[in-house]
Amino acid sequence: MSNLAVNSNLLETLSVLILLSSFVLMANKRINSYIKTFRIQSFLIALAAGIMGLRSLMSEGRWDFLVVCLLIMILKVLYIPNMLNKTYKNVSYKVEKDFILNIPILVLLCCGLVVFSYFTLSGVDGISQDVLNMQLVNSVSVIWIGLLFMISRKKAIGQIIGFLVIENGLYITAMYSTQGMPFIVDLGIFIDLLTFVLIMGVMTFRINEKFDSIDTDQLNNLKG
Amino acid sequence: MNSIVYLLIQLLVILLVAPFVNGLIKKVKALSQKRKGASVLQMYFDLYKLVKKKPVVSNISSWIFHVTPYIVFATALAAALLVPVSTKILPPQIPGDFIMVVSILALGRFFLMIAALDTASTFGGMGSSREAMISALIEPSILISMFTVALISRSTSLPQIMETVQKVGLPLAHPVYIMVGLALLIIILAETCRIPVDDPATHLELTMVHEAMILEYSGRHLALLEYGAAVKQLVFMTLFVNILIPQDQMIGFMGLGALILSLLIYLLKVILLALAMGIIEVNTVKLKLFSIPNLAALSFILAFLGVLQFLILGGKHV
Repeated sequence: MSNLAVNSNLLETLSVLILLSSFVLMANKRINSYIKTFRIQSFLIALAAGIMGLRSLMSEGRWDFLVVCLLIMILKVLYIPNMLNKTYKNVSYKVEKDFILNIPILVLLCCGLVVFSYFTLSGVDGISQDVLNMQLVNSVSVIWIGLLFMISRKKAIGQIIGFLVIENGLYITAMYSTQGMPFIVDLGIFIDLLTFVLIMGVMTFRINEKFDSIDTDQLNNLKG
Repeated sequence: MNSIVYLLIQLLVILLVAPFVNGLIKKVKALSQKRKGASVLQMYFDLYKLVKKKPVVSNISSWIFHVTPYIVFATALAAALLVPVSTKILPPQIPGDFIMVVSILALGRFFLMIAALDTASTFGGMGSSREAMISALIEPSILISMFTVALISRSTSLPQIMETVQKVGLPLAHPVYIMVGLALLIIILAETCRIPVDDPATHLELTMVHEAMILEYSGRHLALLEYGAAVKQLVFMTLFVNILIPQDQMIGFMGLGALILSLLIYLLKVILLALAMGIIEVNTVKLKLFSIPNLAALSFILAFLGVLQFLILGGKHV
């Protein structure tokens, strides 16, 4: 019993740390620190999946969650950040101001988003008060913060990271609320993600080739 | 009787350990630069040397310049008396809580700022305006992070809070306390003039904050100001280690042996924190002045997330 309590406490702490890492991401200024923070966030998610996997292995003998943990490690902690780093090196441009509002305001907005998701979730009928715990609120807040991150950054790589954070948020929401999805769903999500990142990497490269910049504001020049 | 013993132990521990912590952080920095560095006890010798010297006071300065070192030192000591180093010896009632600690320290800081303006040197004005900005940004997050802990223990008094924390088990793995702890870490770095905010080792006019304010002081006045700063640093570190790494529940027995053991563990925790602070200082760069609001916003957010997690949990099992 006490072992279980410590376990769930650890998962709660991890969910707070994942939320915190998205705040840190919002406070970052440079593209390589976005990538670094994304790597840390994915590592925390892999850790949470690992703890859940161990628990389901102990109680039900399911091992597929540990495979998911391994997949997250390979895909989100190693492969995608490395690929983004490579793209970033290819599109060398001057480092300039990348965000539309200043950082304290953005971070305070994130704070508002957490409060917002708390109140929206407590208004949903299907969720009973027992399920509405902080893990759910934290994971939904990560989705909102990812959205805000995506619209607050001008450069393409920042927007890709924003999308990946939204995906991370969705993933942990599913993970924390179901305590382990079917394996086939997980695989589907990962393959989707991989395709997205591959396509976006190529796209960013092409945008840079055509316009000498990956500032997406300049795409407006295409309008006649 | 009990409160006299408490006061004596509190004063002795804080006064004796404070300069040592400073020396330890300097030693870590020196070792990281492949220097041998000064001895960890260097600050004691410095203070002794400064106390023997006569202060030189500019003749256009007013009484504020003379009283400030005493006020700064006295406020630091008063704050030190309110933050217990060990819960094994507690008087039945300590008047004052953490709001009092924050406001006492603010009083000392206020006098330091106007004393820096008093001699009308250009550096003094610069230093005190920067200090005013930093403290205005950091103080909300101190209060909010401490209020979180106070909400959990249903009391604002620090001894009460430290008693409650003993029951948590491992606060560093607890979702609320870890937020408070990270916020306090940023607060410690900002309040004690450490590197991301201010560089204690420099006298370069563009970067100094605390050094700019005490530039005009010499002799025993300077000794008091530096000692006061060291005591203030140890007060914040005590707050951090005693809330985040409580140890007294491990000692099953009471009495003198338990007290000595808990003081030894306290000392070990402070040394570990000092080493960690030294390592952080080595690995970070000083922020430019206008990036400090970002750091302050982050520490405010950490404290705020702590409150929020507490509210979402509804006060259950915390």
